[in-house]
Order: sequence, then C-alpha cells, then structure tokens
Amino acid sequence: MRIGWLGIGAAVGLLTLSVSESVPVAQEAAGAGQPVAGAPAQGRGGRGARGGGRGAPAATESKPTPRWPDGRVNLSQAPGIKGFWNVASGSPIGPGGLPGNLTLDQVPFQDWARALYDYRRERGGLDDPLARCQPAGGMRFFTVPNGMEFIDQPELSRIFIIDGENRDWRRIAMEPGRQHPSEDELVPSYFGDSIGHWEGDTLVVDTVGYNEKFWFIRGGLPHTRFMHLIERFTRTDFDTLKYEVTIDDKGAYTRPWSGGWNIKWQYTNYDGSPGGEIHEYFCIDNERDSQHFAGK
Amino acid sequence: MTRTFYVVLICAAMAATREATLAHHSFAAEYDGNKPLNLKGAVTKVEWTNPHAYFYIDVRDEQTGKVTNWALEMGAPAVIQRSGWTRTTLHVGDVVIVEGSQAKNGTPHGNARSVTLASTGQRLGAGSSQGQGPAAEP
Repeated sequence: MRIGWLGIGAAVGLLTLSVSESVPVAQEAAGAGQPVAGAPAQGRGGRGARGGGRGAPAATESKPTPRWPDGRVNLSQAPGIKGFWNVASGSPIGPGGLPGNLTLDQVPFQDWARALYDYRRERGGLDDPLARCQPAGGMRFFTVPNGMEFIDQPELSRIFIIDGENRDWRRIAMEPGRQHPSEDELVPSYFGDSIGHWEGDTLVVDTVGYNEKFWFIRGGLPHTRFMHLIERFTRTDFDTLKYEVTIDDKGAYTRPWSGGWNIKWQYTNYDGSPGGEIHEYFCIDNERDSQHFAGK
Repeated sequence: MTRTFYVVLICAAMAATREATLAHHSFAAEYDGNKPLNLKGAVTKVEWTNPHAYFYIDVRDEQTGKVTNWALEMGAPAVIQRSGWTRTTLHVGDVVIVEGSQAKNGTPHGNARSVTLASTGQRLGAGSSQGQGPAAEP
C-alpha cells in the first residue's frame, strides 16, 4: 500500500512533467510565483519565493492588504515588513495564470502574427532579444526574475516600478487628466508612456508608445507599434498581487484580448537568505550565450 | 511494477516540481539535450557572474592525450545559491565531474546539470534550464 501511494504520487508528477514540457507557448511560464506543491502557501520565506528555505517562517494565512494612513492601498513594503514581488515568470495565456486566461488557440492572432509566433517557437527562442540582454519591454517587465517593487510618490503624482533585472524601471504618471503625447511626439520605447489612476483599490495603467524591439512575453507573442496595454494591479492580500492586462494591438490581433497572473510576495532575499531586498542583476555583465546560439 | 520503476517515477515527479531555474535564454537556443556531457577535469577558472556563473575545466582525452578546456554554464549566482553554491565552492585545481549537455555548435561549451567534487563526492545541482521548454519564462 505504501509503495502504491508513492507510485500514484510519482505518476502524477510524471504527468505534470509531461504536460509542462508539451505546452505550446508562453503558458509554461504562467503561474508566476504560484507556490509549488509542498511549498508554503503564502510565498513566505523559502529559497527564492518557492519552497521553505533557511530562515523561512512557518506558513500562515496571508495578512490583509496593507494600506497607507490615508487608506490607499500600499503596493509595496509595509513598515517593519521587508520583501518584494517575486516576478519570476508569468503569461497572459494558459492555465497557470488567472482563471479567464485564453488558450493559445483562442488568442485572436492576425494570420501573419500567428505564423511569426509559430516560427519563433520552432526556432526554440533563438531570436528572443532578451536572450541577448535587451530590456524586458511591455508586460515582460513582470515576468523576469530578480524582484520588483513599487515606489509610490503621491506628492509628486507618480509611481515608479523598479525591477532587479537589469535595474530597469517604469514611471507611471498619476496627474489627473494627463494625456499621452500624440503619436508624432512619442518616441517608441521598451516601456512606453504610462498614465495611471486608481479605480477603488486597483491601480489601472494605460500605456502606448512601444517599439517593436522586444518580445512582450517569453514565448514570442508578436506585437507592433500600435500596441496599447491596459494593466490592472490589485493587491488582493498582503502576499498576492493580481496582474491583469489587456492587449490592444490592431497591428497583430483582430481584437483586444486579456489575461493575467498572480505575483507572490517574497520575504527573503532572492537567493533565499534573510533580508527581503532585491539585488543587482545585469545580464550584460558576462553574456556569453549568444555567440553559441544555433538553430535546429 | 518493480521497485526500480517506482524510483524512476519518483525521480520524474521530483523533476516536475523543481524550482524554475530562470535562464535568460531558452535551453534549446544554445544547447542540445541529445549531446550529453560527462566530463572530468580540473578547474582552471571560475566566473561568479550574471547572467550565468561559469567554470572552466581541462579535460584530457584518454586516447589521444589532448587536453581541451571546456566552458561550463550554470544558473545565475542567486539561483544556484539556493542549491548550496557559494562563490568559493570551486577552487582552481579542484577536480570535478560534470554532467550536462553540449552546445549545439559543437564547441567545448556546455550547460552543466550537476557538478560533483571528486575529493568529497559532494554533488550539487547547477541550475540548468534543461527541460523548461523553449518558452519557460527566463
């Protein structure tokens, strides 16, 4: 009997492995920060954000969403509680993300975009600009590892989002009534022009002005300069940030579509040691991979 | 069902639940899982750097006597620290046994899956991204 249960558990694991390696797209990256089986449910402690590591406190229910004295939601550290968001992976499609995520076949690709996507996949990610240390543009900002924090500056009507990955950052303008520059004035960029506002406890960010030099998700979903992202950030409890995004790109898709994933709070340093602080990671420091990239 | 079968299944299950190793590139872009490596040699250099830690070993061909210096990639330092690595785990001169996969382009460059210190038998995972699939997020 004992070995029977072991066998069942192992078979489930084998099935998981089989599925995880046959998923078609960026979806194997979905489920950012989702605890793995046997890991603390709240993403607390652990080596990385997943699993109990040295100095990890016992798993407990998450604390409530923290708030500033004026009642606004605090999207980052609370006084006396260090940590950061463990943006390690994620995808707007596939079953590992939010319940309403589309499957790959439901994504409303234009024909050329689907063909390009399939080509990128066939090439095994060989052409991914991020693999050559280019910035993680668009929503990919929230899928690369090394930690992420919000710096809320209401007195200056802005919110910064900073990433440990290449020490990238985004600036969200929060001035009431602010408009994007005209298309002629926009300089296409990796993170675009972002304007935010609060809808209740949700930060809503509207961004345009992207360049076409990045893959907005690791699987290689195409986009064009017309891409317009609407992102919604909701801290549903202390340990969970729900990230929802609508991709509106008339150049690559036949209609706007949406997806998202949850991002978990990490209380330790990225390597699992005590501290809860993001660290320096520059991909360009010792990039030796691209000289060996090769097709099939 | 034999006991061996269960052991294999359990190993597979453990692999399925391992932590993502988060390479900044897909395994398939650079390495060939069908070119397995099993190398033994002395460490000549260690680079404790992002985006990957590297070490280099001199490997002697037993038949020809030719010595080749291999470059072996591991995960980022912050990732492999979770497996017990530190900046000083390897020293120049240490003899190690490396399991992994060779680069597709056939150069003496590989992705290490595990490293065993010959002097102690200690075996450490090396943060390989093999098996994540081409789109596993970085």
